[in-house]
Amino acid sequence: MDLIFSRLTMTGASAMLLVALAMMWRRHVPAYISAFRLQSAALAFVGAVVAWFGDVPELFLVAALILALKGWIVPRILTRMEARRPDARALQPLVNTEMSLLISGALAVAAYELSRPVAEVVNLPTRGGLPLALALIMVSLFVVVSRRQAIAQIVGFLMLENGIALLALLGAYGVPLVVELGVFLDVLLGVLVMQALVPRMESTVAR
Amino acid sequence: MSAAGIDAILIAALLAPPLASAVVAAAARRRPAAGAWFNAAAMGITLLAAAVIALRVVSGRGPVVAGTLWRLDALSALLALLVSVVATLAAWLGPGLERGGPGAETTAFRVYANLFACMMLLAVSTGNLGVMWVAIEATTVTSALLIPVRRTPAAIDASWKYLLIGSVGIALAFAGTVLAFVDYASSGGELELALQWTTLRAAAPALHPEVVQLAFVFLLVGFGTKAGLAPMHTWLPDAHSEAPAPLSAMMSGVLLAVALYAVARWKVIVDVAIGSAFTDTMLVVVGAATVAVGAASLLSQTQYKRVLAFSSIEHMGLACMALGLGPLGAFAALLHLVGHGLAKSVAFLLSGRIYQRYGSADIGAVSGLISAAPGTAILFAAAVLALAGLPPFGLFLSEILILQAAWAAGHVWLTVLVLVLMLLAFAALTTQLQRMLLGRAPAERGAGESPRAPLTVLAVPMVLLASIGVVMPAPLYDLLTRAAEVLRP
Repeated sequence: MDLIFSRLTMTGASAMLLVALAMMWRRHVPAYISAFRLQSAALAFVGAVVAWFGDVPELFLVAALILALKGWIVPRILTRMEARRPDARALQPLVNTEMSLLISGALAVAAYELSRPVAEVVNLPTRGGLPLALALIMVSLFVVVSRRQAIAQIVGFLMLENGIALLALLGAYGVPLVVELGVFLDVLLGVLVMQALVPRMESTVAR
Repeated sequence: MSAAGIDAILIAALLAPPLASAVVAAAARRRPAAGAWFNAAAMGITLLAAAVIALRVVSGRGPVVAGTLWRLDALSALLALLVSVVATLAAWLGPGLERGGPGAETTAFRVYANLFACMMLLAVSTGNLGVMWVAIEATTVTSALLIPVRRTPAAIDASWKYLLIGSVGIALAFAGTVLAFVDYASSGGELELALQWTTLRAAAPALHPEVVQLAFVFLLVGFGTKAGLAPMHTWLPDAHSEAPAPLSAMMSGVLLAVALYAVARWKVIVDVAIGSAFTDTMLVVVGAATVAVGAASLLSQTQYKRVLAFSSIEHMGLACMALGLGPLGAFAALLHLVGHGLAKSVAFLLSGRIYQRYGSADIGAVSGLISAAPGTAILFAAAVLALAGLPPFGLFLSEILILQAAWAAGHVWLTVLVLVLMLLAFAALTTQLQRMLLGRAPAERGAGESPRAPLTVLAVPMVLLASIGVVMPAPLYDLLTRAAEVLRP
C-alpha cells in the first residue's frame, strides 16, 4: 500500500518538475500558461492521492480548490491578459535555452543536496518526492529572474507557489487548513492585482 | 467581566476600526469625505485599544490572548502600538479631510490603506506563524494597489516591481515556514496547533539543526525582502518614493518593522533549537551589508523621497544587525524601530506637503523652505536630523546602544565600520537637508502655511521622539524591556 502511495506521489511530483523544465525551451506565453495548467492539475492529483492514502479527508477539499483556482481560474485570467497584449512576439529571456537547461539542471542537483537533511527527518512514505519539490522551487525562482515578460514572470511565481504546496503535501500532508485557505486567497488577489497592473505598464523591460 | 472577555474586546477594538473604515469608505463611494471622517474618528479607537493592550502587558499580567488565533505579548503589543500610531497619523493627514473638498483618489486611499493597516495589525497580533505569513503577504497586495493612484508610468512600474519582488520573496518565507512545519510534524507534534508560536517554541529543542538552519535561510531571505534588507532591497526606493505620501509613511515607518518582527519571531524558535550563533551571524552580516548599501546610496540621490527611502534601508540594516547582538542589541533594535517609525512617517507625511508647495520631487527644485513655510521646514528638519541620529531624538540613543552592543559582542571592526557608515549617512542627510531649507524661495509660490492643523498633529510624535532621547517615559521603557525579553531564547 505504502509502495503504491509512494509511487503515485513520485509520479505526480516528477510530472510537476518536468513541466517546469520543459518551459526552458518554450518561447511563447501560451505555452507557459498551458504548462502551468498542467502542473496545477498534477499538484491537485498529488493532493488527492495524499488525501486518500494518508487518510486526510480535508485535503480533498484542498485538491478541488487547487484544480478550480490554479487549474482553471488563474490560467483563464492569464490567457485573457495574453489576448490583450499588443505584440505577441516570442519571449526573449535574459538567458538562452541551452544555458537555461544547464542552470536548471545544476539547481536540481543543488536541491537534492539541500533537501537531504529534510528527507532524512521525514518518515512518511511520500518523502521520496521532497527533493523534487525543492528543485521545483529553485527552478521556478530561476524562471522569475531570467524571464523579462510580465506574464512569464507571473507564471514563474505561481509555479514557485506550487512547489511550496508540493513541499507541504509531501513533507507533512499539508499545512493547517486555515493557513491553506489564506494562501489561496492571497494567490488569487495577487494575480488579480497583477493582471490589472500589467496592461498599464509602459516600460519595455517587463512587457 | 472576565479577563478573557476584556482581552477579546481589546483585540476586536484594535482590528475592527480599520476594517470598518475600509467597508464604510467603499460603501460611501459617492461621499468620500464621509468615509474619510469616519476613518479619522475610528482610528482613535484602534490607537486607544493598542495603548490599553500595551499597558495591560506592561502591568505584568501576561500576554493578551483570545482563542488560539490571537496572542499579544509585549513584543506584539509594542508593534501593534507603533502600527496604530503611524496608521492613525496617515488617517488624520490622508486625503479627503481638506477644506477644498475630497480629491479623486480619496476612496481608493481610504479603502486600501485601511485594509493595509488591518493586515499589519493582524500580522503582529496573531499567535499563529502561518496566519502571520498570510497577513504579511496580504500587505503587499493592498499597498501595491495604492502606489499607482496617480497613474504615472513610473508609479505603475514601481508598483509592479514591488508586487513581483515582494510576492516572490514572501513565497520563499512560506517555504521556510513549511520546512519548519515539516520538521515539527515529523517529530510527532500535535498538528492542529503546530504553527502556534508558543507550541513551536516549546517543541524547538526536538527540531533538527540542519532543517532548522535551511528554514531560517528561507525565512530571512523571504521576510528580509519585505524588510528591505540588501541585496533584496531593489524594489524599495521606487515603491516608497512613488507611493502617495501617507502610504509611504505607513510602508516605510511600519511595514518594514513588521517584516523584521517576523524575522525576530522565527529567530527565537531557531535559537531555542540550535543556539543563537547561527542566526546572530546571519543577521549581523546581512544587516551590516544593508547599512552599507543604504548609507552609500544616500548622497547621490536627487529626489527627497528617494533620500528618505534609502535612509529606511540604512535604518532597517541597523535594526537587523542589532537583533543579532544579544539582549542589549535586541533592546536597541526595538527602540530603533520605534524611533525610525515615528521620525520616518513624519518626514514622509511632510514630503507630501513639500511636493504640493513646489510641484516637484527634485531636491534641486526645492529651495528656501525655511522662509516660505517655516512650520513645515522646522518639523521636516527635526525629522531628518532625528533620522541622521542627532540628539536629543530617540534614534541617537538607539544608535549609541547598537554601537555599544556591537562592541560588547567583541565585533571591534564592525563597530568601527558601522560608526563610519553612520557618520556618512549623517553627512549625506544634513547636506541634502540644507539644500532644501536654505536659498531663495520661489516668489511665485508665495509664503505661509495652510492648513496649519497637520503641523500641530505631526509635532506630537516629534516631541515624543525627543522625550525618548532625554528621559524615556517609564511605561515605554518597561514595554521595550519586556519585548526584548520575548526575544531571549
